[in-house]
Amino acid sequence: MALILTETASIKKAVGLINEIDSSKFPRLLQRIIQKLHLRDELSFTEDEEEKLEDALGMQRNDLELVLETTAFILEQAAYHLTKPANLSQQLQSIHLAEEKVSLFTKAWTSLGKDVVEKLRKRTLSPNQLTDVNWRLNLQMSQQNQTKLKMPNAMLELGITTDHGDKDRIRMEFTHEELFAFYNQLETVQGQLDSLS
Amino acid sequence: MALPSVGNPGGFAGDRTLFVGAKVPQEIKSMLKLLKSTDKSTFRELLKASVSSFEGAIIDEDFIPNLSNECGQSSDALSIVYSGILTLLRAAYRLPQTSLKQELFKADLSELKIPPEYATDFASAVYGPKRAAINDALEKGRVRFPKLDNFRWRVDVAISTSALSRSLEPTIMAEMTLSDGKVHSFEIPVSKFHELRYNVASLMKEMEDLEKKNILKIQD
Repeated sequence: MALILTETASIKKAVGLINEIDSSKFPRLLQRIIQKLHLRDELSFTEDEEEKLEDALGMQRNDLELVLETTAFILEQAAYHLTKPANLSQQLQSIHLAEEKVSLFTKAWTSLGKDVVEKLRKRTLSPNQLTDVNWRLNLQMSQQNQTKLKMPNAMLELGITTDHGDKDRIRMEFTHEELFAFYNQLETVQGQLDSLS
Repeated sequence: MALPSVGNPGGFAGDRTLFVGAKVPQEIKSMLKLLKSTDKSTFRELLKASVSSFEGAIIDEDFIPNLSNECGQSSDALSIVYSGILTLLRAAYRLPQTSLKQELFKADLSELKIPPEYATDFASAVYGPKRAAINDALEKGRVRFPKLDNFRWRVDVAISTSALSRSLEPTIMAEMTLSDGKVHSFEIPVSKFHELRYNVASLMKEMEDLEKKNILKIQD
């Protein structure tokens, strides 16, 4: 399996720093980084939090940043190559990470790795995405030139989240026939999806 | 189940409101005065034009003047008859055929003192083969939200991404064109697609259940 962590100068330095970190403090750090790994526009820690971390870990800002970036890099690589925990453990040993830290990484990856990969899969480049579906069923009783009608109609509202986070709403109305035609098209799409698995 | 009875089919006409309303519209009253002086074939021309206009046809503005030249009746008189016919038909088309039965319609026409030979023509305009097309045209003209004119889609499977060497995640690209001319394109993640399909299916089921309900079968 791939994921070749090369012991570059910067990794070597980062590994040295990680090995120094108190093993009781490291899991929480690791967990936070894993949880935020799939978010593209968000750093794992805020500016404030980084300051607090400097104190808690007794580290310089530059060193702390190197540790955070390297930890994220290792996890990103693990995700990219869909690395198994055993393989990750092996590779971490090869860059001379302390045994204790290796097992913390492996443990975190074992419990959260699948979840991270799943979240990365759902990450999309498409600007507009369907996010919610609402509907309402009406019975039309009359109109200006016809009375005593009993004609059902359906309103469908699709919520589309755009790139900027705001929501577009597509609203449309269906008669029974129109709805049936739309449903049949959805069934065809479903058939295509079924044929993939 | 005791429902307050509005009509009394078979009873004498005074029991029931005429289909044109409790008060006979002025247009119909004016038509009645001119009906006798309008010959049968002219009346038929006017009736035919009225029916086509309900079907959605646009009646040429020269129609009445031309007809006037042919039959000798003044354009004004023909316009009055035409407007009476439209008013009468509009009132008749408002009610479903199951509600305003032909015998009631004819009874009302005779109550309105419309001569039987004209009444037969009116009845064939209301109960004839064109009625279905007229109902469709009225239905199409209703106020409504945009409908889905075109739904185009494709299924993509992401092979790899900047974050994953092997993703294999299907997504659906959809493009919806609505009848108001707007085109929306968006991605549907598989989980959302299931939600959409489920919702549309539930909606269909609700609609079918509603149509099966007895309340819809009551013909009032």
